[in-house]
Amino acid sequence: MSESGILQFLNPLLKSGTGIVGLILIVIPLAMALFPQYIAPYDPYKRVARPFQQPSLVHPLGTNDIGQDILSELIYGARISLFVGVIAALATVALGSLVGLIAGYYGGLVDEALMSVTDTMLLIPILPFMMLFSTFMGRGYINIVIVITIFAWPGVARYVRAQVVALKTQPYVEAARAVGAGAARIIFKHLLPQIAPTLAALIMLRACASMIAEAALSFLGFGDPIQKSWGTMIYWARRSGAITSGAWWWITAPGLMITMTVLGFAHIGYILEEYYNPRLRRY
Amino acid sequence: MAILTVTFIIPRLMPGGAFAYLIENPNISPEFREALIRQFGLDKPILEQYALFLREFFLSGNLGVSFYYRKPVMSVILDALPWTILLVTGSTIVSAVLGMLIGLIAAAKRGRVFDRALFNISMFFRSMPAFWLALVLLIIFSYYLDLFPLYGAYSYGRTYESIFEYIADVVHHFTLPFITLTILTASAYSILSRNSAIDVLTEDFIITARAKGLPERTILYRHTLRPILTPLMTMTAIELGYSIGGALMIETVFSLPGVGKLMYDAILMTDYPVLLGIVIMTSAVTLMLVTLVEILAAIIDPRVTLT
Repeated sequence: MSESGILQFLNPLLKSGTGIVGLILIVIPLAMALFPQYIAPYDPYKRVARPFQQPSLVHPLGTNDIGQDILSELIYGARISLFVGVIAALATVALGSLVGLIAGYYGGLVDEALMSVTDTMLLIPILPFMMLFSTFMGRGYINIVIVITIFAWPGVARYVRAQVVALKTQPYVEAARAVGAGAARIIFKHLLPQIAPTLAALIMLRACASMIAEAALSFLGFGDPIQKSWGTMIYWARRSGAITSGAWWWITAPGLMITMTVLGFAHIGYILEEYYNPRLRRY
Repeated sequence: MAILTVTFIIPRLMPGGAFAYLIENPNISPEFREALIRQFGLDKPILEQYALFLREFFLSGNLGVSFYYRKPVMSVILDALPWTILLVTGSTIVSAVLGMLIGLIAAAKRGRVFDRALFNISMFFRSMPAFWLALVLLIIFSYYLDLFPLYGAYSYGRTYESIFEYIADVVHHFTLPFITLTILTASAYSILSRNSAIDVLTEDFIITARAKGLPERTILYRHTLRPILTPLMTMTAIELGYSIGGALMIETVFSLPGVGKLMYDAILMTDYPVLLGIVIMTSAVTLMLVTLVEILAAIIDPRVTLT
């Protein structure tokens, strides 16, 4: 993205209170993900204190069952949680847009076939499918990204298709067809750039869903046991008896980070969506 | 129409059944595996297997045998299903009604503190992973305040004097999971009914009602309520998938003996037949509930036609 592109992206956000809140909520985990070594007080993989210590000045968020500092774990965990959320969102939007563009552009039987799959997948609960596929594919964050992408694209496809159907009767698309442009050229050179701004909003909103899905799958134990994400932290907390020993700090901290980050993405996503699609404006 | 598509797609999404059964599983003996292979005809070509699987499923509801429980998958799932359906339908009804009322009030006070607070609170709850809210409520209300039990749907090993005592015990166990799921879904319903109510409030018949001098209360509960029921019904159908996903996670946290817990155990035991069965059954139940909601919507709003 060029410099003016970033400015264009930030402009609608800085104009509204919600947008600024969203940016702040995202900047915190982003800083954690980029420079954990400068922020974290301890090495999250080392034993630095007695286990199950309550939050104190030395360890602001307490320690876990093997005496690791939870604040440091949290800061290092940001990288994987954000990475999985954003990569899965990008992949979901790419796949969904492709399906939506093809269905919307070609129409007819192709459209009907693709949309009946899409509608069905939108209705049925996808979490059991994700769990089933994760069991087949095994542990690991890359597998989580793949599983999320396989099941999360239908919402994007529906949205993109609706836009393409409205766009493709526009004179400039017909003109392109009249001078002999092929389907691929029209789809990628004429239709895609038109919907690109709304895709930015979609990526933000899909990042919310992806992060929650990652948390759920990691919580069930599908994450990499060696690398820590926030979901994986809660998985270990529950397995190591955080509930039965009342270690509320261990459960609360990672979940609150997930909630805050998701909230940040949601705020930014909604502001961008309203900005590029003014009919949605709420107030 | 949608149901036909699903019954067509789901068996196809499954890796042919054969894949699942032939995965090395230390829990089953070679003889047992051989017997399974013969019983399900896994030595036959893939298309014949596929036909066989469809025939078994549609004629007798046979989904195979669980590796772990050594019982038919169908009966294992049917034991767990009522708990999940109880949780999902109960909280769906409560949160739809609750969300509708909160949304109406927010719409009447559009732009004011209540409305903005509602929006922000709903967004906050919707940003939470369901299992995390469950864990937090569990640690506060069960561990620290000791108001509710830590796990289960009833007290294990307890004998009951009467059926009412049993019901009271189950209600006691279900309160927290129920509240968790209801908070999460009510957020979505209240936002939706607020937005639809605001659309309705700008329509001509509302202006007419105001001109007639009807009190705001009557306008809100008599004239606005009915038109927003239809979008709310559509929403219910869409929300069900989320509700069931949430319920599965919440059951795992609270150790309720429902489908979510069953699925979690099946993952730990790598009990593939049960996993496959749950995926099929949750989809089937969701579609049944969606159809039910569509029928209800058609009864409430005569403009909606059944397809």
